[in-house]
Amino acid sequence: MNYVSSRTPRVVRMGALLGVAFLALTIVGLLKRVAWSTLWDQLTDVATRDALRISLYASVCATVLALVLGLPLAWCLARMQFAGRRFVRALVLLPMVLPPVVGGVALLGAYGKTNGLLGGVLHSLFGIQLTYSLWGVIIAEAFVALPFLVLSLEGGLRSIDTKYEESAAVMGATDFTRFMRITLPLLKPSLVAGLMLAWARALGEFGATITFAGNIQGRTQTAPLAVYTMLESNPEGAYALSFLLVAVSVGVLVGLRDRWIGGGS
Amino acid sequence: MISLHGTVEIGNFSREFTIDVGNEIVGVFGTNGSGKTSVLRTIAGLCPLGKGKLIVNGELVDAPAEHIFVQPELRHIGMVFQDHSLFPFMTALDNAAFPLQMRGMKRTAAQKLANEMLEQFGVANVGQQMASTLSGGQSQRVAIVRALIGSPKVVLLDEPLSAIDDESRDGVRNLIREHLVRLGVSAIVVSHDRTELDHLCTRIENYTR
Repeated sequence: MNYVSSRTPRVVRMGALLGVAFLALTIVGLLKRVAWSTLWDQLTDVATRDALRISLYASVCATVLALVLGLPLAWCLARMQFAGRRFVRALVLLPMVLPPVVGGVALLGAYGKTNGLLGGVLHSLFGIQLTYSLWGVIIAEAFVALPFLVLSLEGGLRSIDTKYEESAAVMGATDFTRFMRITLPLLKPSLVAGLMLAWARALGEFGATITFAGNIQGRTQTAPLAVYTMLESNPEGAYALSFLLVAVSVGVLVGLRDRWIGGGS
Repeated sequence: MISLHGTVEIGNFSREFTIDVGNEIVGVFGTNGSGKTSVLRTIAGLCPLGKGKLIVNGELVDAPAEHIFVQPELRHIGMVFQDHSLFPFMTALDNAAFPLQMRGMKRTAAQKLANEMLEQFGVANVGQQMASTLSGGQSQRVAIVRALIGSPKVVLLDEPLSAIDDESRDGVRNLIREHLVRLGVSAIVVSHDRTELDHLCTRIENYTR
């Protein structure tokens, strides 16, 4: 450590300490409210189990959907020059800055059963209803998770030196082989980090889901929606489920820090 | 056979080249910025020709006026890149075996041949090491093996001995020459070291600016 970085002013240290306290207090407050003696019972309650099952299933499906849509998008944004690229990037980032409830309303406008641009057609032609269904949950979660994955992958693709793909091409590797054997291994850290961030975002999604898919226990009620519902009827259950979600989030952060983001020593 | 008659253009760089190479080892000598590496990249298909024609192995592979451009993966060329460009996430052995696998050989068979050739170049002992952990000299030897192993008819070598230490330089140079002669290839060696080219090549083209 050099002289300047070892001389952090006291006021800065105090500010940082306050910042840590501000954040840590929420976790401590939550942990304090958890009824540890009945934690297992609360987490194995039917409504909680349903919510966890739906959350896990929907968030994994949403992450896969985000990957299917996000990888080609990230590739084009990172590697292609085309008219409207800035517009496409802004569009990709929009769900990140949009209030989630507004995202849900927009999803209704596009995929809603009665008045949705595509949803109406899907319903009238094939009888497919996305709203208030598990598919609705998956779509809402993929919508908010997509930007996290695209940003991570685009950054990863930009940082890959194309010399490796070039040398593979000279050695006879086709486009597909180059992608699978060279690009993908080089992209792995960004891909894993992006998938984890997208999955965590999907798991914690609330606003767009409740607006687009509703809050039907056993059908569309995810863990965050269950926490919201239980907060009035069963606060102990709400805190137990919140504790579980915090634990999962911490797990994701620890995983990202130690293995892919490369935090400080 | 290589026949390049045209303008090599990369970024702001642009220069006319006329190079004809039969079954011989031709050295291209030039100072930094003279376009030596750009010529190799153009022949390999990594940069399209600006103007003119490029024939590799008797096939017209690049002719902008006729809208002809054959992808690098279809040109059957072996190339040693200036910075070696070994895949850092693979072992040295997998790097060396890669061109054979691209030609459809099974991994085990490809690795067996690669190991034999790594042995000839004195780097079989680092075969199981990840490429990212190799020294400059080891990495360059693996890169040479990788360029020659697929028995290409055209070999391009960009400063192929720059990272090899003085003691083993003669040995590696002789090995390269032996392989090139045995394969009966058309080879272009690019270097800014005239003495190196004198030792390795049958004739030398000077492209000093």
